[in-house]
Amino acid sequence: MTVTTTTPVSRTAPHASQRGPRWSLVRRKAAPYVFILPFLAIFAAFTIYPLVFTFRLSFTSWHGEGAARWIGWDNYTYLLSNPDFWASLATSGILWLLIVPVQVGVGLIAAVLLNSAKLKARGFYRTAFIVPFVTPLVAIAQVWIVVFDQNYGAVNSFLHLFGLPDIGWLTTTTWSKPTLALLFLWKTTGFAIIILLSGLQSIDTSLYEAASLDGASRIRQLWSITVPLIRRTIMFLVVLQTLAVFQMFAEPYVVTKGGPYGSTTTAGLYLYNHISVADLGTGAANSFLLVVILMTLSLFFVRLLRARD
Amino acid sequence: METPYAPRGDRNKRNRARSRRRLTAVAAGITAAAVAVVLTGCGPQIESGSPTPAGKDVLQAPTAASPKGTITIWDRSGDLFNVFDATIKKFNEKYPNIKVNHQAVDIDAKLQNTLTTGTDVPDGVFLDDSLVAGYSQSLWNLSDVLKPFLGKIAKQKVAVNSIKGGIYGVPFDLDPGLLFYNATVLQKDGIDPATIKTYDDLLAAARKVKQADPTSGPIHLENSAFLAQLWLEMFASQQGTSMTDASGKLRLDSPAYKQILTWLDTVQKEKLGMRADYLGPTDINTLDSGKQVFVPWAMWFDFAPQQLLKKTSGDWRAMPLPAWSDGGARSGAMGGSSFVIPKDAKNPGLAWLFYKFLMYDKQGYSAVYGPNSVYPKGLNTSIPSYQPAANPAKPLFGTVDALGGQNLWKTAVGAGNQIPGGTPTPKWWASAVNYLGNNLEKMFDGTMTPDQVIQQSTQQIQTNLIDRQ
Repeated sequence: MTVTTTTPVSRTAPHASQRGPRWSLVRRKAAPYVFILPFLAIFAAFTIYPLVFTFRLSFTSWHGEGAARWIGWDNYTYLLSNPDFWASLATSGILWLLIVPVQVGVGLIAAVLLNSAKLKARGFYRTAFIVPFVTPLVAIAQVWIVVFDQNYGAVNSFLHLFGLPDIGWLTTTTWSKPTLALLFLWKTTGFAIIILLSGLQSIDTSLYEAASLDGASRIRQLWSITVPLIRRTIMFLVVLQTLAVFQMFAEPYVVTKGGPYGSTTTAGLYLYNHISVADLGTGAANSFLLVVILMTLSLFFVRLLRARD
Repeated sequence: METPYAPRGDRNKRNRARSRRRLTAVAAGITAAAVAVVLTGCGPQIESGSPTPAGKDVLQAPTAASPKGTITIWDRSGDLFNVFDATIKKFNEKYPNIKVNHQAVDIDAKLQNTLTTGTDVPDGVFLDDSLVAGYSQSLWNLSDVLKPFLGKIAKQKVAVNSIKGGIYGVPFDLDPGLLFYNATVLQKDGIDPATIKTYDDLLAAARKVKQADPTSGPIHLENSAFLAQLWLEMFASQQGTSMTDASGKLRLDSPAYKQILTWLDTVQKEKLGMRADYLGPTDINTLDSGKQVFVPWAMWFDFAPQQLLKKTSGDWRAMPLPAWSDGGARSGAMGGSSFVIPKDAKNPGLAWLFYKFLMYDKQGYSAVYGPNSVYPKGLNTSIPSYQPAANPAKPLFGTVDALGGQNLWKTAVGAGNQIPGGTPTPKWWASAVNYLGNNLEKMFDGTMTPDQVIQQSTQQIQTNLIDRQ
């Protein structure tokens, strides 16, 4: 049995079809916008609003309570004329030099080895390289503190075996940055290897076979085939790690607290130092300056890539 | 790209499409600008005048005969949390209708955001004295409720909680500086501790120890910038001064600071000091091997011989600090904590009743400092700042075995009574570590002179902290 139901049409509200083709067109055009409204609302609440709020805050003196005081460009001029701000950028710059070129070089060699069909237990090595990356940083940092302790650390004990003197790995301005860079390298090189490995796997193996037939050595193949073909992957990695190094916060915060004497106060930690004492206006201005610097650096690398293309 | 030979109808279509795209872009731009303008209106109100003055809201005690409600209290996790937790039962015997929701919280990490956003604000918080001033704008002024007790609270504790005429913390402990010494080593080296009455005497005794054991570094020199600054302030507090006066003006450039820094520099230059992080591996090792024998530090150092030192545990004793000049005060305050009540608390009056019970009610302070399940002989890492509780004749905690059975209560209460008042703590105290604390460490490195520490720190603190308020 078939039951048929009919919906009564309201006398006051005309049926869609009665409103004519123009209304239908409007509805059809509006539909996509209505569908993306939830996304727009979330985007506005969690991206646009914080951005606008922070930008506005950067022109005020506000300590998290009461009314904020409008001070114009004062936060920016203070930061740009402050030696500590430039020192934090310099620290991040030095760490970048100690980390990124080394990571790209070591990562590339490791990725090439891992990509080799002749390598046995590849799965094991790939897991071993990624383990530091997925281990909680605070746990690693605590181990680092113990291992590099000047008096009782394993590293200095090892040096003693060869009659070498103690080194203040984390307590002297000379060694604190390399030690921190080593921690960052150890923690994130596995991630770099994974990125590079994905680039390597997109290269057609026939290119290597042809090069071998032509008598090209492994190193020649690396320089003439591998590096040019994964240049975009390398550049992507460089941009990604540049952002990570300039935003580096947890490593110096846990291991050195930014010391000794501010020698490991990175741009990220310097920014946090304002926020942690509720100097929110200066912190906001600092974050915008960092955004500008990081965007400039990223654009520089992208341009570099395009120029080569 | 438009081709020159495209039919006119197509061109018109394309032009219309381009116009529509432009219109859409303009509409999107206008919408974005409107959203930005609307959003800009959110957030804190902006005024062009001076910043909001320190909180004017003065807390009043509840008047109900049997007050009721729930309070959320934040404490740091660890032994003190357990001590305070154990007192809640006794509090409820007096106030059965107040439920205490006691939480162990990483206060340093959480409080700032909680107060800024006003979300899930607790009714009471345990806070370092050095941080109270920084949060004062978000806290209740407790001067009215504390009025009946003020005359009986250690002056130093009232001073560190006082900002622009208001009092923003319920003082908890008093942490007098004491001179801890290894009595066994001193006896072996023929030094009578009773002869150490001034800091010059301490230098002389350290030289003797160094002569007997050239590998020793008799006096502790603090290696971490934060604790070094706190330590410096103990020496300053002993002379009745601190980084700023009550009006917030810097006073590092004073004879008192010059004297302290010159003394510390002498310890460094003559290699009479053992530079180490407080109770770090080097510190513990040198304390336990008899290489480090003098620790001028807050009372809470007694935790080390009780819990951390193995070989020399019973060899240590405590005496009042040496004086900076003959007849001068024999103690200064180092560290300490208070209880604060946020303005956005739901039941601030009930939180006050809880703290009043803990600190100013005999049953309460006896439960905190007396024998309890956490400290069977009582809590002996500080003494009460409330003088009726700190009665020299009526110890709340027992003798300390790790200090050779010494009556530490008597020594500490006597020292505590000598701490001069008038040492306010500026809002930016913790941030000053980046300047004063670091410069102090540079002096210990031998790369800065006492005068340079004073001049450079003054300039840096003025520019980066005071002028930024």
